[in-house]
Amino acid sequence: MKPDTVVDFDVALIERARRGDAKAFERLYREHVGRVHGLCLRMTRNPDTAADCVQDAFIKAWKALPRFEARASFSTWLHRIAVNTVLEKRRGPSKAEVSVEDPGEYEEPTMVFDTPVEEEELEAAIESLPQGARDALVLCGVYGYEHQEAASMLGIAVGTCKAQLHRARGLLRERLERGVR
Amino acid sequence: MTTRRVKGIGELPRDIPPARDLWPAIAEAIQADLAMRVVPDGRRRVGWWPAVGLAASVALVAVGVFIGQGIAPKPDGRLAGNPAPVTDAGMVKASLRQAEYEKQREQLWTDVQNKLNTMAPAEREKVGASLNTLRRSIQEIETALGRDPANALLQELLVSSCQEEMRALTVVRDSGRQEL
Repeated sequence: MKPDTVVDFDVALIERARRGDAKAFERLYREHVGRVHGLCLRMTRNPDTAADCVQDAFIKAWKALPRFEARASFSTWLHRIAVNTVLEKRRGPSKAEVSVEDPGEYEEPTMVFDTPVEEEELEAAIESLPQGARDALVLCGVYGYEHQEAASMLGIAVGTCKAQLHRARGLLRERLERGVR
Repeated sequence: MTTRRVKGIGELPRDIPPARDLWPAIAEAIQADLAMRVVPDGRRRVGWWPAVGLAASVALVAVGVFIGQGIAPKPDGRLAGNPAPVTDAGMVKASLRQAEYEKQREQLWTDVQNKLNTMAPAEREKVGASLNTLRRSIQEIETALGRDPANALLQELLVSSCQEEMRALTVVRDSGRQEL
């Protein structure tokens, strides 16, 4: 699954916001806030921290708008800023956690269960994952980013991202007591 | 409570709206940022004036006269309602007054910028937003004057708005109070 791509509606709003139109930026905010918040909430596991990250991310996005390239996806750009903001708030402890081996064969970022699972149970299982594994799973599994993009956002190697996803897959299998493909 | 059942991670909702509206705080920060951009914008305004042509000249003469009399003079109905003919000498004097006004204004904005930097974030945002509102109203009047150069009401509005801006800037510079 690919992340959303930029639409013409956004392009016009981005252009207006770039010229200092706060109303246009508010419309962009309204359109994207749910997704950015979902991402921050899943990465931070704390509603207050997630809200702070969302606010910071949109303020940073406003200030960085002149540097946004219109050909890029606004959504991906925004997510990148949000991920950076979350990582900044954590102040680096995740770096020590990435010492997992690259499994190599796990190229597929999607995960399918052999029997359906309740959404709430799945969210709780994701929440219980170690930080590095959770980050990779959220970006690749939930938000559909390729390993390369997710690794770039997280500031880790592609191999590490794959390894973290592999780890997440194993832990979910254990915690949900289900087969995960 | 049971929730929807999903077969894969990709079926989880990507959108999770925040419990409260996060926009007001973002909007305040944006307004503060816009207010911070005012000083460079003020410099660009010098280049913008010629494009407005006669409208700006008439308005600037009025502003220049008022500024020459002090920052907050009483509006002069004769100038606003029935502008005196603008002679070459008058234009030169007006240009000088305009330059003086721009200089004073720019200095005030620099002082205010320094003052804003010493304020608490919430106070800075509030003051910045108020100043930005004033700046926008002036820009809107200037734009309207560009379309309707002879409009005496717009000329008077521009003068009073410029006076208001100078008053507000002076208040912030001298006292740093939130009330504008």
